Amino acid sequence: MSAIDELAAELAKLPGVGRKTALRLTYHLLKQPPETSRRLAAALERLVERVRRCSVCANLTEEDPCAICGDPRRDRGILCVVEEASDISAIERTGEFHGIYHVLGGRLSPLDGIGPEDLGVQQLVDRVTAGGVREVILATNPSLEGEATALYVQRQVGPHVAVVSRIARGIPVGGDLEYADGVTIAQAISARREM
Amino acid sequence: MPLVATDAIVLHAFDYSESSRILRLATREAGVQSVLARGARRAKSRFGTALDLFAQGTAQLYLKEGRDLQTLAGFDVLHARPALGADLGRFAAASALAELVLRFGTVNEAHPALFDALAHALDHLATAEPAQASEAGLAGAWHLVAQLGFAPSLGACSICHADVRADGPLPFSHVAGGVLCAGCARTHPGGRTLPSAAREAIATWSGAGRVHGLDAREARAHQRLLREFLQEHLADGRLLRAFEAWEHGGWSAP
Ligand SMILES: [Zn+2]
Ligand SMILES: [Zn+2]
Repeated sequence: MSAIDELAAELAKLPGVGRKTALRLTYHLLKQPPETSRRLAAALERLVERVRRCSVCANLTEEDPCAICGDPRRDRGILCVVEEASDISAIERTGEFHGIYHVLGGRLSPLDGIGPEDLGVQQLVDRVTAGGVREVILATNPSLEGEATALYVQRQVGPHVAVVSRIARGIPVGGDLEYADGVTIAQAISARREM
Repeated sequence: MPLVATDAIVLHAFDYSESSRILRLATREAGVQSVLARGARRAKSRFGTALDLFAQGTAQLYLKEGRDLQTLAGFDVLHARPALGADLGRFAAASALAELVLRFGTVNEAHPALFDALAHALDHLATAEPAQASEAGLAGAWHLVAQLGFAPSLGACSICHADVRADGPLPFSHVAGGVLCAGCARTHPGGRTLPSAAREAIATWSGAGRVHGLDAREARAHQRLLREFLQEHLADGRLLRAFEAWEHGGWSAP
């Protein structure tokens, strides 16, 4: 296999990259100064060398424990459970949450062969039973699989913590009630709050 | 490229790029289809947020011959089934039904009876009491098998077709596709033994009936038999992951 085909084949394995796009990216790199490709290669190398899972929360990190678990200002009484490490960045960008996290590493999906034992739920139960957690927030995605996952986690940690809560779902900000679907409107109404 | 509008149910969904999803649909007019839903991950997607697993509605598809991945132009959700995510037993059983149609359904071929049986099975499951979710799943699965045309032979030997109506247990062969008479059982060893109550249950489910009073142990035995039976009828040898998860996972209420 030629070097061009080899890179294109690797790129085509990435999500959302087809064979055509992979070839276009490869030729694009060949038009750039060699330094561009060398920097890309070095960055990939560093990525796999340095990034690993936080041994406490399973966040992706270069130091263990991660910056959030190691921050003394974070409230260790509130633990937010997410599907993927990338969900942590999304919540952190809001600056609204000051507790700690737990990454499940996926969601229940029998068709993909992901069952209860494939998620990091036991580690979560261990963390909660170790004490100090007042509330567990279930922030799995508001999809059917995310709901089922939240239900499973709730059943496992519920007996060990005072409060288990689920993030609200409903009409998105900037959304239009008239065009929202029935399921979303029904959920927004049942999750209403007093004002 | 012809635009086809057809009733459809979402069987499987996964993220494709930053903004898109791939859906695998059971459709009434075009069999099982894999479609790309461009932009479906965006908050204000034209597909709406109700385009979730097991949701049913009208799909507009651009079907191009010879393609594995078709394009979803639109999907009007008429009937979401959030109740299937509100109980783990229902969720696991519904995933198994989806897997059955994905693995045995045919691409591009209309099969209205199979589609209706699936819709019916999912609705039953969505309203099943958690303790009845396994039975509802088994009922739906055997009815789908009957619609697919390979329901097991239960009243006659599946090899020599001799009448084998009996009150006691009978040998059952996955390979032969049903019960065996004493003579054929000697020449075809292996398989399982089916009590008459289990045979009656499968016959009832295949005919879209319901079985009452099935306990958890019997349900598990039925799930195992069903998985083995389906696996035997798959040529590709790939495992039925959702059926395995349904059978083994700690889904049911504690
Ligand atoms: Zn951490
Ligand atoms: Zn025979």
